[in-house]
Amino acid sequence: MDSQIIEVLNVTRETAWLPWAVQYFFLIGLSYGSFMLTLPYFVFGKMQHERLGRLALLGALVCGLTAPVALLADLHGPGRFLNFYLHFQPHSWMSWGSFFIPLYLGGLLVYAWLVMRADFARLGQAGTTLAARLYRLAGYGGKAPQSAIAAAALVALLGAILVALYTGMEVMVIRARPLWNTPFLPLQFAATAFAGAIGLMLLFNRLIVGRNTQLEVELNRLLALTLALVLALGGVWLFVSLSGISPSHSAAFNQVAGMAQWQLTAVWAVLATVVPMVLAIRFPASSGLLTGLIAVHSAWMMRWTIFIGGQSIPKTGAGLYDYHLPLGSDGLLGIAGTASLWIALLLLMLDYLPWAGQAFGERKQTNALAADAITSN
Amino acid sequence: MNQSRRDFLRALPAITAGAAIAPSAAFAATAEPGSETKHRWAMVVDVRKCIGCQACTVSCIMENAVPENSFRTIVSTYEVHDDTRTGTYMLPRLCNHCANPPCIPVCPVGATFQRKDGVVVVDGDRCVGCAYCVQACPYDARFINHDTGKADKCTFCAHRVDAGLLPACVETCVGGARIFGDIDDPDSAVRHLIDENKLKVLKPEMGTQPHVFYLGLDERFQGRVEGQGTLWQPSKHGA
Repeated sequence: MDSQIIEVLNVTRETAWLPWAVQYFFLIGLSYGSFMLTLPYFVFGKMQHERLGRLALLGALVCGLTAPVALLADLHGPGRFLNFYLHFQPHSWMSWGSFFIPLYLGGLLVYAWLVMRADFARLGQAGTTLAARLYRLAGYGGKAPQSAIAAAALVALLGAILVALYTGMEVMVIRARPLWNTPFLPLQFAATAFAGAIGLMLLFNRLIVGRNTQLEVELNRLLALTLALVLALGGVWLFVSLSGISPSHSAAFNQVAGMAQWQLTAVWAVLATVVPMVLAIRFPASSGLLTGLIAVHSAWMMRWTIFIGGQSIPKTGAGLYDYHLPLGSDGLLGIAGTASLWIALLLLMLDYLPWAGQAFGERKQTNALAADAITSN
Repeated sequence: MNQSRRDFLRALPAITAGAAIAPSAAFAATAEPGSETKHRWAMVVDVRKCIGCQACTVSCIMENAVPENSFRTIVSTYEVHDDTRTGTYMLPRLCNHCANPPCIPVCPVGATFQRKDGVVVVDGDRCVGCAYCVQACPYDARFINHDTGKADKCTFCAHRVDAGLLPACVETCVGGARIFGDIDDPDSAVRHLIDENKLKVLKPEMGTQPHVFYLGLDERFQGRVEGQGTLWQPSKHGA
């Protein structure tokens, strides 16, 4: 019997995880990805990676400090976060996350302070200005022991792994949304976060401290490898969905496969992965700006599609819920506000943190001059 | 507890007295009266009797001060073409007050919980508005209330039930399509309907064990409906 159903009247559930959530998942991913890139220089002492380590520390800090602000905003009331600590729920991944975030950020801040302590002390050597006194205070004790740096890095690393785990699991456990309910999701979040962090480093390498071709080549190679992993994960998901070996994956695929906007999104996602990968392989020394930009875009777009796109699929009703980006704080203003905070924090750090190491301390200059000193490293 | 509209009307004087002392809060607090009872509240929806008048939708909004363009219950309405026949299909939807509710374990602050009488409620004082429960509900039964910024949902009108009243949607249903009662009571109307009929629930494969049962439910509407998207959607909230 042929039948056709038209939904005449039904409730349209609004998007409940707002663009704030996209911003949070994006920024915290870039932060823990960047943090990983600081380890070769600051913890393992690989001097050839100094420039990468210092740029990555900036990235980890600026993204890590902006991310929780977006998360708080998504609660519709900033003071509400206290309830997370007053009423711990061991069966909720989000509840665990409220402890993993401070573990990671606390570890990151201590780690960043320790690796810059000698430079803080150097900046505070002379002068009676407030800034000099603050630098002296921050640099108290001078150069930190390597064991302390390693210990702080270990705490931050544990926090980073747990944040990566909970952000993935939190979404994965939602059986009500077949598209989210896949064990591939945490891996895809982590892989795209790392690709986004590499992309951010490629942009920093071009836009903040002049340009270092050697680093651009190295980052492009790393990006190509990471994007290959992203593609492989997507390919395995597609295979599992199409082969029918997992009914829930097939259900998720069938939910969206026939819809034009999802087909466009899929093509876009593949292109945003393949194009930077090809560029990174073919032109490793010159494509950094473009590959970096696309990689960052791809990491954001993936989260936007998962969250906003995923929530536009009704759980009971027919068709799709329409989503129109609101202009206010629930939408565009939230995205612009997070981006503005990110830029403001970056500018403050560039000017007041001795992120470039000795170069900053000796010259007491802003980023442009200090940067020159590590450009050749 | 009254199990049918007729019983309800007979008991009207007592109910009216109860209404005078019924609490009006949309959110339940801890240590509700219902938590000490031996009832297990449930609803049977006889879709054959639903005429799609949306009286339940409106009465719910009025009873629970549901904000504009938000709904704790609604009658989903479909136009169905089968070969040469065309008809209208009505499906009242609400929280299913599941025995295994997926919205509860995800809550990061323990704000959403199930009373001993089976009613799933939200402690508005504790809720942080994270919307995790909204995502976890397979029935799209929850939403974020724009006035409070917190999770909102059908409570089976717990404040009325605790006062000996019927849920507002049951009381106003003109076709008698919504039957409410205690399934643990062998003499209740819902118990009889469950025992004597082959009832269905929405999305049984989710393992949530819903306690809203449907009589005459077409299988095509049991899960996500395959069809053309809704023709009418509420405008932006407050607009």
